[in-house]
Amino acid sequence: MRHRWHEQIQRCANGQSSAAEIAELHKALSADAELRALYLDYLNLDMALSATADAAVTVADDNARIIEDSRRIDRQPAHLWRWAAGAAACALLVILVMPSKRQHELRAQHDLAAAAESAQQAITRLPSGAPAGLPAWMSPTASLLDQPTSRQ
Amino acid sequence: MSHSDDQHHDQFLRLFAEHGPALRVFVRALVPSHRDASDVTQEVAVVLWKKFADFDATRDFRKWAFGVARYEVLAYLRDKGRDRHVFDDELVSKLADEASVAAPRHDAQREALETCLQKLPEPQRALVLAAYAKDARIDQLAEHRGQTAMSLYKTLYRIRRALLLCVRRTMSRENLA
Repeated sequence: MRHRWHEQIQRCANGQSSAAEIAELHKALSADAELRALYLDYLNLDMALSATADAAVTVADDNARIIEDSRRIDRQPAHLWRWAAGAAACALLVILVMPSKRQHELRAQHDLAAAAESAQQAITRLPSGAPAGLPAWMSPTASLLDQPTSRQ
Repeated sequence: MSHSDDQHHDQFLRLFAEHGPALRVFVRALVPSHRDASDVTQEVAVVLWKKFADFDATRDFRKWAFGVARYEVLAYLRDKGRDRHVFDDELVSKLADEASVAAPRHDAQREALETCLQKLPEPQRALVLAAYAKDARIDQLAEHRGQTAMSLYKTLYRIRRALLLCVRRTMSRENLA
C-alpha cells in the first residue's frame, strides 16, 4: 500500500499528477499523519537534491577554473622561455655587432697609424736644409716655434 | 545606508542564510509545483525583509519566518486555487504545522543525504544530480540517454525512494528520527 504512495507523491512533486490523482492524494494526506510525514520527507529530499546539484555545478565550475588557472601557470614557463630566448638573441646580436664595431675602430686606428707613418716617412724624405737662397727658419722641417731671427 | 542599517541588513542576511533551506522546504511542502514554490519563496523573502524591522530579536527567527511564509502561501494558493487543483486550506495548515515540527528532522536528513548519495553507484548519483541541475529538462536528458521520458522518471523514482529509505535508516540508526 505504502509503495504506491512513494510514486504518487513524487509524481505530484514533479507536477505530473492528474487532477484525479491530486484529489486522491489530498484525501489520503488529510486522513493519514504518517503519509503526511512521508510527503514532507520527499519534498525535503527534493529540495536537498536541488541544493546538492547546484553545489555540484558550483564545485565543477570552481574546479574548471582552478584547472584552467593551473594550466595557465603551467604555460608560464613557456612564456618565460620565450622571453629568455629573446634576451639570448639580443645578447648574441650585441656580441656579434660589438666585435665588428671594435674591428672597425681597430681598422681606423690602423689606418691612422699608417697615415701617420707615411706622413713621417714623407717628412724624413724632405731635404733637411732650407732651399738655397732661403733663410734657415723657412726650412719645412724647422720648428714653427722657432722664431725667425731678426737681423740685428 | 547608515551603520545601524548595515547591521540590521547583515543580521537579516545571517538569519536568512541559516534558516533559508528550511524555509524553502516549508514552502515547497505547501506548494506542490516546483516553479510556484520558487516564486512564493522569493515573495516570502521580500516580505520578511520588509517586516524585519518589527521582528523581536529575542524570538525564534525560523518560527516567525514560517508564520509569515504560511500566510503568504495560503494567499498564493487562494489566488491559484481558482484555476488549479491544489490542496485546500485545511490540509495546507496541517502540513504547515507538521513541517514546522519536522524542521529539525529535515535539517538532519539533509545532512544524512550526503552520505547516502555517496553510497549510490556512480552512474545513479550522476543521473540524479543531472536531473536536478538548474534548467535540466527530463525529456532532453532521456533523449541523451536513449530512454523515453517516462522510463527516466521511473528510474528517478527508484533512486529517490532508495535515497529516502537510506536517509531514514541513517536517522533511526543515529536516533535522530
